[in-house]
Amino acid sequence: MALTTAPGRTGSTRSARPHAPRRGAGRNRHGEGLAGYVFLSPWLIGLMGVTAIPMLLSLYLSFTNYDILTPLSEVEWVGLANYERMFTADPSYWHAVQVTLTFALVAVPLKLAAALGVALLLNRAWRGVGLFRGLFYLPSLLGGSVALAIVWVNMFNRDGAFNSFLAIFGIEGLPWVNDPEWALETLMLLAIWQFGAPMVIFLAGLKQVPGELYEAASVDGANRFRQFWHVTLPMLSPVIFFNLVLETINGFQGFTAAFVLSNGTGGPVDSTLMYTLQLYIAGFTDLEMGYASAMAWVFLIAIALITTIFFSTGRFWVHYSDGER
Amino acid sequence: MHTSPTTGSPVEPLFRSRAPRRRILRGLVAAVVAAPLMFGAAACGDDGAATGDDKVKLSIFWWGGEARAKLTEDALALYTKKNPNVTFEKTWQANQGYFDKLATLTAGGNPPDIFQIDDNYLAEYAGRSTVLDLTSYKDSGKLDVSKFPKSLLEYGVVDGKLAGVAAGENTQGLVYNKSLLTKNGLPEPTTGMSWAEHIAWAEQVAKKTKVPGTQDPSADYKALWVWLRQQGKDLYKGNDLGFDEADVTRWFELWKGARDRGATPTPDVIHEGNSSDITKQLVVTGKSATSWVWVNQMPDLKKNTKDELGVVAYPGDPSGQWARASMYWSVFKGSKHRDAVVDVINFLANDPEAVALLGTDRGLPSNMDLRAKVSETATDPAMKQSIAVETELAAKFGPSPQVPIKGHSKVKSELVKAAENAQYGRVTPAEAAKQFLAACKSAIA
Repeated sequence: MALTTAPGRTGSTRSARPHAPRRGAGRNRHGEGLAGYVFLSPWLIGLMGVTAIPMLLSLYLSFTNYDILTPLSEVEWVGLANYERMFTADPSYWHAVQVTLTFALVAVPLKLAAALGVALLLNRAWRGVGLFRGLFYLPSLLGGSVALAIVWVNMFNRDGAFNSFLAIFGIEGLPWVNDPEWALETLMLLAIWQFGAPMVIFLAGLKQVPGELYEAASVDGANRFRQFWHVTLPMLSPVIFFNLVLETINGFQGFTAAFVLSNGTGGPVDSTLMYTLQLYIAGFTDLEMGYASAMAWVFLIAIALITTIFFSTGRFWVHYSDGER
Repeated sequence: MHTSPTTGSPVEPLFRSRAPRRRILRGLVAAVVAAPLMFGAAACGDDGAATGDDKVKLSIFWWGGEARAKLTEDALALYTKKNPNVTFEKTWQANQGYFDKLATLTAGGNPPDIFQIDDNYLAEYAGRSTVLDLTSYKDSGKLDVSKFPKSLLEYGVVDGKLAGVAAGENTQGLVYNKSLLTKNGLPEPTTGMSWAEHIAWAEQVAKKTKVPGTQDPSADYKALWVWLRQQGKDLYKGNDLGFDEADVTRWFELWKGARDRGATPTPDVIHEGNSSDITKQLVVTGKSATSWVWVNQMPDLKKNTKDELGVVAYPGDPSGQWARASMYWSVFKGSKHRDAVVDVINFLANDPEAVALLGTDRGLPSNMDLRAKVSETATDPAMKQSIAVETELAAKFGPSPQVPIKGHSKVKSELVKAAENAQYGRVTPAEAAKQFLAACKSAIA
């Protein structure tokens, strides 16, 4: 800080007013601060207008009976009624919580396992390994895309490609996406298949593991598995931690695929009623935006809590090679 | 940087341009602060100018396909031709997501002046201060509804307020695959068949053709509604439900019986057909010999299949059906051009040329004189068919029920959930009915 302002002061004295260096410097510093804010302003306006203010408004609305159609000036304060209803009187809310937890608990670990497994395979110096890295990354480029969800639905229909494939082996497939017992599993599979992003991060992490550690381990007689267990995993643990936190948050927020698969209803028979979808239905189909806002805030707090738990357990299993951080 | 030997040259330009730079900054800040004010002022200016009778631009929003868009745009162009000072900002989209968009526009304080709405949402909107009560326009004759059937007009009244003007009339229709039946030498269904006869017929079709005879409509509120009315019940009575758990149990059991006899498709196929999407109706995807639709959807269904289609009333006494406003035109209460908007709606309903242009896409024309004309001149076979069926049924219709109450959209989705739960065999009909009733009560509370 001192270094950057020092030349400014000398410059100022030299240029115009040798008798008032401090005032000039003060004004200048002020001007630079202002400039900073001006250049920040697109982002600041975006943050305030698109994120912060709507969020605060939704916090307020969560204590009201806002129904979208009634003007904001006429909404009624209902206190904790929305929260009370969520926790005590709305079975479909708890169903959505259960669906979302199931989804995250199954899909996230499997996705991370797939990402790590493929990253380990692609960490070798094969010919054409770059091509494979690209190919495996491809699905996650398509991210939360609607088109991909539509393709998935058509693949796992009763007369979809997957069942045609099963038919080769004489197996009669199920109507996966239209079967309440399997629809959620189909969505999990889609999420797992998009393991590219954590895979790339794992790959980068694997590149950072110093080769001499493996040499030392093999000199000590450690086999492949023990090398993986005692060298790779500990060295990779910060990356695993990072991926785990991000993917868990992503997993909880899954919306697009469930929306597309069920035409926005969470069906068949609520089997794909993810939390975010339930929130959407409450707000936009049932026009209970106050209630939906309350759901959103509980969701935010729940995700914050889970993330905090990850961070507080992290110190027991995340190993930073450059000393304790 | 501060060690630079060349007399601080890296910093110098900064100071040489200081004064202009500050001016630029000041200008920028001013612009940032002023922009919203200016937009606000511009908006205010707009308000002032628009109250006059000069140039008026009305926003109009509807759902439907491309065919409907073409017809509607033609009719509105005709209006502009006759009233050059009125132009339109037209927006349309598919039915799915339409009401989300309409609600969002309303919340943003920017709803369209005129919008299409149906009985699923009319009460929701009318119950809030969103929709203009058109009674005074009706009384002053600015909105001419004298040629409307009385029941059709009344089906737009919510809590004593005229909340919507019927854009057309339709009724429930059981559509069947005529080609399939003829090919297999099977009889066609007829109006007045009992529910038991219908299911027996569907079983016979399934055995002969290997195509399930009928879509299971137990998740379909309009089928349940007709069936309830035939039992002397109704979907709603005042602000309450017009049926009880025992009724729904019997309804679910009726269809469980049909499924057990193989008259319907498997649950996952029924689920596909429960979509409101016309292209997914089982009669056009070939997964069932019948679908449960609205009669005015016939031309659209026809476009999605090569087979010939026929249409009759739902099973049971046809007096369970009624002349339903297929959809309404409603006016946003806060519209700045109410008179102009009402005049447009009046034009769409009563102008002979406009009605001829619109045809039966939104149902039979509400104006009875013009309906007769359109029926005489119709050439499209699917359109002729739906006109014929509706005209035939008109004599047998029962009185219109009340417009569905607030919470109806939730009741509809809960019915789908409960019925599918029974279809997949996860619960018994009685359990599904119990679940449905409990959900309904909290939905309309």
